[in-house]
Amino acid sequence: MTQTVEVLSQWVPIALSNMIESGTSAGVVAKGAEIVVWRDSSGVAHAWEDRCPHRGMKMSFGFVRGDHITCLYHGWEYDQSGTCQYIPAHPEVEVPKSICVARYGVAEAGGLIWAQLPLGSSESSFAGLPAMEGVKSVYIDASDATVLAVLRKQGCADGDVANVVILERDGATMTIGIQPISSAQCALHITVPEGCAGDVRESILDWSEELRRSIEELEVVT
Amino acid sequence: MILHNYDLFENCYRVRLVASCAEVALELINVDAFPGTEEKSPEYLKLNPMGRLPILEDNALVLRNLSAVLIYVAEQDIDKRFIPDEAKDRARMMDWLGFACDDLAVAVQARAVALLDAAGDVAELRAQARALFRILDDHLTRQSLRGENFVAGDVPSLADLALFPAFALSRDFNLDHDEFPALRLWARRIRLLPGFITMPGIPDYH
Ligand code: FES
Repeated sequence: MTQTVEVLSQWVPIALSNMIESGTSAGVVAKGAEIVVWRDSSGVAHAWEDRCPHRGMKMSFGFVRGDHITCLYHGWEYDQSGTCQYIPAHPEVEVPKSICVARYGVAEAGGLIWAQLPLGSSESSFAGLPAMEGVKSVYIDASDATVLAVLRKQGCADGDVANVVILERDGATMTIGIQPISSAQCALHITVPEGCAGDVRESILDWSEELRRSIEELEVVT
Repeated sequence: MILHNYDLFENCYRVRLVASCAEVALELINVDAFPGTEEKSPEYLKLNPMGRLPILEDNALVLRNLSAVLIYVAEQDIDKRFIPDEAKDRARMMDWLGFACDDLAVAVQARAVALLDAAGDVAELRAQARALFRILDDHLTRQSLRGENFVAGDVPSLADLALFPAFALSRDFNLDHDEFPALRLWARRIRLLPGFITMPGIPDYH
């Protein structure tokens, strides 16, 4: 029997699926970890450490070309497995397979892209979630605990997986993914069932902007 | 038509971007603005007593106000792509053009402080720019819900072109793009417009 020390891992929502189009990348921070999330040309999402092995610049400043992501600074190019395939300054050199970007476990479910934290967590598959559509990601200058407390006052219930709450409002059932960013910031990724009416979605936008305003005003006072 | 230009000034890039997308020929006269402050020399003060760039000259016509310059250049487009005909559509476009040229001046200033030795409190300016980016991100989220991909309608307008540089250059003053998903998608659509050009600080992905 082998004994390994398991790192306590958890799945954290890092973006709405519909906000990361094929061929694009974005930088996100989850629990202090800097992550680049990108979608290749075949539509598969990836979540990697946001750090180029060359000189440590942010991969999220780079760009996606087909199935590869390219660092902006010196053009090193990485394939879907995170392995460097091409170094423009030395086109004739076969790149050592050891040059790799560290990857997070990634999943896509419920209209959200999820990353498994921390880096090096043992792979476990993510529980399935019903199909949902992203409405908006709201970034709030307050901790996830503060925001969660406000949402509880509004009557939210825990979702089936961690970092998700369910909130009924104006005839809509929102499923909200909570992304802790730092002790002073978090993001809410708001989703609704497919086919939810346009005016309901608009009222959700109003609600989310008001929520952000009221929480941030509170943060300034305290 | 002559543009008195400095390549690293965001407001000069806005004019070059509009001219390029509208297929309007501009003759560039490069001014040694940094560190030479040539735009404040006696010759240039005659053209623009405010001592600022860009300045647009078309024979006897001299324009110094940013939105006046942008509108004049976009009007020369034979296809009139970026200025809507209908009064309400045009007013919507002008509303966001004002946001780009007036309100977002704090982002231009933040960048000038960070990169070009201008005076100002960069942290305060960054906070103001961030609040404006949020407004724009909220607005673009609503727009796409209504089936419109651009700030003032479902086609790109002068307002979109005028707004793009402030967002694209915000990393120059340490304001990252993480928090503005709708702006990211919109900026990508701007990049795909025929005639799109970059400037130093805005990576060309090709
Ligand atoms: S830092 Fe990424 S290629 Fe040099």
